[in-house]
Amino acid sequence: MNGRRICATCVLPEIRPHIVLDEGGICNLCQDFNRQERTPLLLESDFIRILDKHRGKNKYDCLVMCSGGKDSTAALYFMKERYKLNPLAFTFDHGFETNDAIDNVKRAVEKLDVDFMFFKTNFMKDMFKRLIRSKSKAVICHPCSIWYIKLAYDMAARVQAPMIIAGWTKGQSVKQEVMSACGCNVHQPEYKAMAVETQKFLDEQVADMPKYAGFPRSMDELLKQVKRSGNKAMVLSPHWFLPYGPDEYVKIIQDNVGWQYPAESYPRKSTNCSLNFISVHNSMRDFGYTHYHVEMSKLVREGVMTRDEALKNLDMNFSDKLLDGILGELDLTQKDIR
Amino acid sequence: MYVLGLSCYYHDSCAVLLKDGVVVAAAQEERFNRDKYSPVFPIQAVNYCFQEAGITIYDVDEVAFYEKMFLKFERTMLSHLSGFPFTLKNFVQTLPLWLKERLAVPYYVEEELRFKKPLWFVKHHLSHAASSYFCSPFPRAAFLTVDGVGEYACASYGVAEGASLKVQKELHYPHSLGLLYSIVTAFLGYRVFSGEGKVMALAELGKPTFEEAFRRVVHVREDGSFRLDLDYFAFNRGEKMHNRRFEELFGPPRAEDSELTERHADIACSLQRLTEDILLKMARHVHRATGERALCLAGGVFLNVTANSRLRNETPFEDIFIQPSSGDAGAALGAAAYVSHTILGAPRAPPLRSCALGGSYTNRQIEVVLRNKRRKYRQLAPGARTAEVADRLAAGQVVGWFQGRMEFGPRALGNRSILAHPGLPEMKDRINKVIKRREPYRPFAASVLREHVEEWFEGVGDSPFMLEVGRLRAAQSGRIPAVTHDNQTTRIQTLTRGENGPYYDVVEAFRARTGLPMVLNTSFNEDEPIVRTPAEALRCFEETGIDCLVMEDLLVER
Repeated sequence: MNGRRICATCVLPEIRPHIVLDEGGICNLCQDFNRQERTPLLLESDFIRILDKHRGKNKYDCLVMCSGGKDSTAALYFMKERYKLNPLAFTFDHGFETNDAIDNVKRAVEKLDVDFMFFKTNFMKDMFKRLIRSKSKAVICHPCSIWYIKLAYDMAARVQAPMIIAGWTKGQSVKQEVMSACGCNVHQPEYKAMAVETQKFLDEQVADMPKYAGFPRSMDELLKQVKRSGNKAMVLSPHWFLPYGPDEYVKIIQDNVGWQYPAESYPRKSTNCSLNFISVHNSMRDFGYTHYHVEMSKLVREGVMTRDEALKNLDMNFSDKLLDGILGELDLTQKDIR
Repeated sequence: MYVLGLSCYYHDSCAVLLKDGVVVAAAQEERFNRDKYSPVFPIQAVNYCFQEAGITIYDVDEVAFYEKMFLKFERTMLSHLSGFPFTLKNFVQTLPLWLKERLAVPYYVEEELRFKKPLWFVKHHLSHAASSYFCSPFPRAAFLTVDGVGEYACASYGVAEGASLKVQKELHYPHSLGLLYSIVTAFLGYRVFSGEGKVMALAELGKPTFEEAFRRVVHVREDGSFRLDLDYFAFNRGEKMHNRRFEELFGPPRAEDSELTERHADIACSLQRLTEDILLKMARHVHRATGERALCLAGGVFLNVTANSRLRNETPFEDIFIQPSSGDAGAALGAAAYVSHTILGAPRAPPLRSCALGGSYTNRQIEVVLRNKRRKYRQLAPGARTAEVADRLAAGQVVGWFQGRMEFGPRALGNRSILAHPGLPEMKDRINKVIKRREPYRPFAASVLREHVEEWFEGVGDSPFMLEVGRLRAAQSGRIPAVTHDNQTTRIQTLTRGENGPYYDVVEAFRARTGLPMVLNTSFNEDEPIVRTPAEALRCFEETGIDCLVMEDLLVER
């Protein structure tokens, strides 16, 4: 990773002052993890307790953010089949979702017989274009996350769904005893540098774009807005509570809802939008690692995968031709990302 | 039809899941929270059981609890009242526990598990009886249960046939053999629940010089029923369960970790004799009273392997089944079995042949742990694994052996075990000193190939759950010093390939190399609950003197 030292136990590079390797080559995050007596324990019974408080009180028990990836499709499957809830599947396409992903969603909602709302918009396109062209170090996925979480809250309020279910893995978001609101992980050391750049971009570059007036400048700001609006929807992921790793639940959704891996993805065995390739390229350029390195490092620490597997999954394997195609959709070229 | 059995709030809290009367998963909470004999609500064990079965609470039809809490509360209150005002301090200490936990079981089941139907509360000794009978191969049998105390009963017997169990007689609190054993355990400076086994081991070093003293304290009748002379005890009256008069008979109590003397061993030996005498009388009476040919045993007292062997050899019963998890964890199984079979009419399940009812790990899951801990390891082909382990055992190495599903109950039966050469004289001291770090007199058990048992031992037949002892035949004397106790007996687990193929194969391969059809088998732990996960096994390996660790097909060396 740009010649940086990588932690010997996870896959994060040394990024001072936030990620520091000791003499043995172990990062401060792994050291903190190893120092914990025991990691916070989340049990499926905790999850069921939360679900049961909200079950059957509204038309939909929950809104499931479903991208068509393995984690969110499994989340939708679990909500309907394992926890016997009535979920509303919600998919949003900012114009860069892949056909493979959309097909996965359509197959899942059909097989599970759940109501489905699909929302497609080019609303974010200008922001993405500005972000790339300005050579900002902001991570493309960050403003996008803020936007789609906002959308999910708005949609949950509209259909009075008391819970928003995400497919976040044990490596994503903050692991808390019981989630009372969406946990925000931008304050973690490994995200700090990225979060600063995202906020800077939103403050400096988006202010003069009228269509984004009122766009939250950070996830924290969004969560405050949500709270102020009286929206009490909870954001939860079943994957925090279940002992199963992706190997187990991929098999479940392959067998039960015909889920398929996409033709091309980064990291390996994931299903992300095509703009993700540009985001990954730029994060490597600007920080020497991506938010997937953070996620995979957590999964390594949690014992879900080995470090070697994480490194293999994170190997940059996409072509210039692929980048050209995606950038072309934004009227950009590779010059804009060098 | 799924029935969940629970025990908690005293010791050995546990969850057991039955599907149509067949046990699909069972585990004690201590294995998860790492607190030995943990009494807390077994929330992690419940989660494990559901995940093993691939279900959630929404699929559970009934929940059974292992005792009747209000009846027990009544007995406790009456006991406090009878001793008032001397019991006031204990009353004040225990009342909050009753109000917050023990009487609030339905609340916790609904709150923690979201199970909203009424629960089934099965009497404690009936739970014990059901745990043994429904796991036994007998279509009808007598049963005998003996433990510390349930609601009122401390022992019971009766007859079981088909799906019905009828209690004929009970022996009530405070006249309790389990309680007496625990009182003397504490008197000898050991901790109650964990120290009873140590007292049993200590007994072998002593002489029964206190038999007469015990006869003054315990008045035993010919039918095995007995009365404790309460002038020697101080139930509910303070820190100690015995009183000054008891000390006048037996001498001062031993402080924890102080030196063991001949007197202590003699007290242990006399207690053990008394225990065996009472149990034999009880069993013989049960035989006379019921006329049954088979006997099912359960309750914590039947973890006493020496007594168990005498029951098999010295009573008229043709066959005996002992619930392998005969403590309170097994009572959770019994409560669930009683509800499944007796109340809901599920057909009898096949007899319990294995205690491997806990979680298991794949090579890949173990590999993740090893790689992330940066431990070098080697993957062995299944055939090569057997030979490798046998070679190492034959060469005198101590092997950490982790395979298949974790055992339910107090014994490691070849899935979470530490294995060693039983023929090496120094092995017992070595394992006690550098691996288990415990008292030097503590003996080890042997896992013996079933077909070789008679050639080596007298007085033992099938003992698949390590609940009996055999006397070493004179011809074999001195050949297995690491597992031979001073009185020439050995605690035995008999092994067949059908019950545990991989483990059997290792012992068979060891026999081919050494001529000994057995290995030393002790639980995989060091002063903590038996290991459950690969990470715990690795930590135990790293912190003790185990020579190598074999987890499924992966070999870790020092």
